Amino acid sequence: MAISFKQIEDKLKTEAKGLLETGKVSLVLAYGKGYDEKHPMPYVARRPSDADNIVFNEFCTHNMARYMVRYPAGTKMAVAVKAADSRAVIQLIQEEKVKREDLVLLGIPAYGMKNPKTGETIDSKTTCGLYNPVLYDVLLGEEVHGQPVVSPYDVLAQYEAMDKEARFAFWKKELDKCIRCYACRKACPMCYCDPCFIDQNKPKWGEKSPESAGNLMYHLTRFHHLAGRCIDCGECSRACPVNIPLYLFHKKVAKDCEDMFGQAAGMSVEDKPVLVNFRVDDSDKILE
Amino acid sequence: MSFEPKILGIACNWCTYTGADLAGTTRLQYPQNLRVVRVMCSSRINPSFIFRAFQLGADGVLVGGCHPGDCHYNTGNLYARRRLAVTKKILEFSGMEPGRFRVEWISASEGNKFAEVVTEFTKQIKNLGPQTQFKISQ
Repeated sequence: MAISFKQIEDKLKTEAKGLLETGKVSLVLAYGKGYDEKHPMPYVARRPSDADNIVFNEFCTHNMARYMVRYPAGTKMAVAVKAADSRAVIQLIQEEKVKREDLVLLGIPAYGMKNPKTGETIDSKTTCGLYNPVLYDVLLGEEVHGQPVVSPYDVLAQYEAMDKEARFAFWKKELDKCIRCYACRKACPMCYCDPCFIDQNKPKWGEKSPESAGNLMYHLTRFHHLAGRCIDCGECSRACPVNIPLYLFHKKVAKDCEDMFGQAAGMSVEDKPVLVNFRVDDSDKILE
Repeated sequence: MSFEPKILGIACNWCTYTGADLAGTTRLQYPQNLRVVRVMCSSRINPSFIFRAFQLGADGVLVGGCHPGDCHYNTGNLYARRRLAVTKKILEFSGMEPGRFRVEWISASEGNKFAEVVTEFTKQIKNLGPQTQFKISQ
């Protein structure tokens, strides 16, 4: 491997310090120490001296694009972005939640990120499988080359091949585990609605207690709200305390959107999200 | 007793609902299983309406809108087409029979088509039987 996590950490510290000292940005969204090495935490550096607290290792999986929308519009900020995170930033720019000129993107080309819960390497099975950020201002390290390019949708084949009863049973079993902690919503960079549809009482879209019907309503609607917007970072499934493979459904919807509308989420700042866009020559076949 | 399905119809005010009116005034016969809700445009339909309808016991959902290009608001049904296509894929991947949800473009002058679609769709739902997967057991 070309560059180690330690080197990335050092570069991140230097960049953050420089940006904060010159006043180019008022905060840097990066990673900080957690209660042990396996559990780093999202960290916001506001003063140049804070930059020393920044860490980066193979367990820094969080999507820091999540935290951009928490600050008032016009806040100048620097964000540490990995591959999928940069797509989230692009998607948020498309949705006019943040402005490109307010952001300094510190791109991290990373290979071999690990899931802190299982210790497995994160690859195209649970995420979009990219190694290099799509959009960045500063690249910390060199682009990763020579890693196998696998379609992120390969993992879906076995679920698509299931017959519908088996698939319903599979999802029922998985979604029934949900305890409605909303960690998926909190971890998701695209879930910024306030209030979320499920928190509304009038109209009451679904039951709020953790039982089958409400869980199904919450998750199906959430999959729908993320259609054509989910950038496949896999953070929802990693945040889930009961290990529901939410990434599978998100991947499936992303795949369908790509097939039907010919555009993947968060790949170019010029694109418009597919569901707030249309083409007159969209085929009626998509409804069959 | 034979199975009489409950079908939710969501019809756009300008085309499908007027088409249903025409079917009525021309005294066309079609099954009474359809309960029609009028919305101002097919793009008014929140996908949650459809999930919720299935949960509250609908055996099928039929959405009607203007033909693409004919929308009263010019572009409403073009957005709806994309959105409802995604809804359909989601229902399909969650394990529901794809035949329970259908989108049809029916214009105000197509009373015949409205009656035909409803007859055919009701027959299809009768063949599929009661919808139990999403239904909340009382």
